[in-house]
Amino acid sequence: MGSHFGAVQESYAQDLAIFRTKLHWGALFAFLLFLFTCPLFFSDRMLTIMTMIGIAVISVHGLNILTGYCGQISIGHAGFMAVGGYASAILCAKLGFPFWIALPCGALTAGIAGLIFGLPSLKIKGFYLIMATIAAQFIIIWTIIQLRSITGGPDGLSVPKPAIGSIVLSSKANYFYLVMAFTCLATLLAKNIVRTRTGRAFIAIRDNDLAAEVMGISLWSYKLQAFFIGCVYAGVAGSLLIHYYSFASIDQFPFMDSVWYLGMLIVGGMGSTTGAIMGAVALRLLDELITMVGPILSAAVAPQAAASLALISHGLIIIIFLIFEPRGLHHRWEMIKAYFRLWPFSHEE
Amino acid sequence: MAKIRWLVVSVIMILMTLSVLPDGAEAQKKLYVGGTQSLTGPFAEDSAAVLAAIEDYVKYVNETKNLGPWRKEKFPADITLEVLWRDDELKPAKALSIYEELKAKGMMVARISGSPIALALKDKMWEDRMGATSMATGPYYLSPPQSCFTYYPIYTDSLAAIADWFKANWKETRKPKVAYLTADNAMGRSIEIPEMKAYLEKVGYEFVGTQYVPLVPTSPPTTQLTWLKEKGVDLAVGVMINPGAQPTVKEMVRLGMGPYQPYKMTFGTGAPGHAAVFAEAMGELGDGYVCAGSFRPMDDLAIPGIKFCRDLQDKYRPGKRVTHIMYQAGILEGMIQVEALRLAMNEVPFEKLTRRDVLEKGFFKIKNLETGKISSTPLTYGEGDIEGVDQIRIDQVQKGKVVEVGLTPLRHIFTRK
Repeated sequence: MGSHFGAVQESYAQDLAIFRTKLHWGALFAFLLFLFTCPLFFSDRMLTIMTMIGIAVISVHGLNILTGYCGQISIGHAGFMAVGGYASAILCAKLGFPFWIALPCGALTAGIAGLIFGLPSLKIKGFYLIMATIAAQFIIIWTIIQLRSITGGPDGLSVPKPAIGSIVLSSKANYFYLVMAFTCLATLLAKNIVRTRTGRAFIAIRDNDLAAEVMGISLWSYKLQAFFIGCVYAGVAGSLLIHYYSFASIDQFPFMDSVWYLGMLIVGGMGSTTGAIMGAVALRLLDELITMVGPILSAAVAPQAAASLALISHGLIIIIFLIFEPRGLHHRWEMIKAYFRLWPFSHEE
Repeated sequence: MAKIRWLVVSVIMILMTLSVLPDGAEAQKKLYVGGTQSLTGPFAEDSAAVLAAIEDYVKYVNETKNLGPWRKEKFPADITLEVLWRDDELKPAKALSIYEELKAKGMMVARISGSPIALALKDKMWEDRMGATSMATGPYYLSPPQSCFTYYPIYTDSLAAIADWFKANWKETRKPKVAYLTADNAMGRSIEIPEMKAYLEKVGYEFVGTQYVPLVPTSPPTTQLTWLKEKGVDLAVGVMINPGAQPTVKEMVRLGMGPYQPYKMTFGTGAPGHAAVFAEAMGELGDGYVCAGSFRPMDDLAIPGIKFCRDLQDKYRPGKRVTHIMYQAGILEGMIQVEALRLAMNEVPFEKLTRRDVLEKGFFKIKNLETGKISSTPLTYGEGDIEGVDQIRIDQVQKGKVVEVGLTPLRHIFTRK
């Protein structure tokens, strides 16, 4: 046995492993340690931001499976989050279900809603599918408003705090741990889903659905599976969001959020689990940065200088990425890694 | 080039690290007012005026230690006020992190910038014992009354006032027909409660149904208005902001609907469909439009509160005058927040002041707060009493001007407490 330079895989299983090197395992351990100790040194505000980022990451993972891997563009993702959130809220608030049962039920309900609204994808694609998913967003919100006796309509619905046995997850730190656990689980599942036969079928459909069908991939089955899985993720995210607020309201799921989730995917890089995380983190942090910069800009320039700053910057960032880095932050990250892998013998002078 | 790149990366990383660290001890003897604003979105104009007013009022209090020209009480001389605000874009998720940030900075009063934010934050604020002024006044605040305080009437009470006024002027023997014509969002739909419909029927109306108009319409609401015409509606009431009310009335006029049009129908909204803003933009085209619970026009200098607004602007923003009516709302919010802090400090020393003190010994103790007639009556709050005013002023646009046509007591339509 000779010694190796660099990472050498000696089996197919080794090559496919998510964590292949000691560095990978070390980074994972350090990251989990960081997450675990966050509440010790971060303020409530930072925990709130990180919790929101975690929820966004779960949602974007779902959209990534649906859009990034399977190529079924959806601009109704916030609507599916609303389905999961409201289903979970109703089960907890009206029927007294515990959170741990309500959350998977909510996710399942969102998945079923995804199946229903995914049906048009069998006949239409591209621009026409976008229109169908936009319609889904509005139909879902309209339905929630109409079912006033169950959902509270526009007044919303108070939801009890989630609890594990007798422990009520009322503190920011508790809920942060809960969301991060779900985020890690969702990431691991997303990473694995795309490595399965189903994941490969999704990619084949995305790349060329006609060729995929000729190869024997059932478009009917796999497209609906993508909608189901993507919307289950949205349902989990919606449920976590509503339980965090302890209140369900249609205003928590605006149409523009669906657009921004797609934006997160563009910024992070479609068809990449890491990209989905990067996109969600980047746009959420940008949001927070703009919130902090707003008052400074307003004082320095004009009172209304801060108005619409977030909308403008988000739009601008998405345009910039579409033009200069269409493969997203993930691709840029891979290039940086490649640069350091070759360092000091990089190709750059 | 590589060095510059690394330098930029390092600076960004240092800035990000600094931004996530908990805030250190703040300067002594400083109290914060203000809170989250919706400078992006449909309430941007309103919010900008509110923010400008809060800033001006705080400058006034800091400089003079007075609380208003008509008041004798003084704010403690050794304490400085500072305005803290962030733009929440009317997004609940963003408002939540802003709330946490401002709370962590030691803010003991807060504000609500719109119904979506109110629905997301009201329970949290109650848990934190955080008193807040609110630009939104939906009936959700009364189920149960908590710690968000309004300074113009709850929407349903505003509509009840319009209904009472219209009924008092009704000459025909048949029952007048009423319908909701309201914004298609949480604010607009918050009026659809059984108590509201029951009240309308109790005072002698025939309730016909509801039509929704987008908060900011992108096309004239022709279908909705035609439906009202076909149903023979005499009074349409709802809650809208001006960007919704103005195109609606323009289309009404085009369809020949209105108090002075061939098809007689009156359209009334609760504030924030302010008649003063409406009249300024629409002129005589908007004649007949009714608004309840709103503020007076900014040029009505006979009113002490409005003269105070003018004086503040002359002093603190010469040449950059804010003409929007919600400047008055900002002055009210500043007055309420500062008064709550002052009252609390009467009982608890600055060093020991907590959010709970400001709520219980401040907001709850505000009685007959004289506002120079900016609000329709002096403001009174208490535990379980979050609706500051006792009466509602009704304004109508006549010959392009705002005319006060009635003042009715609050009906307290929403009883679910």
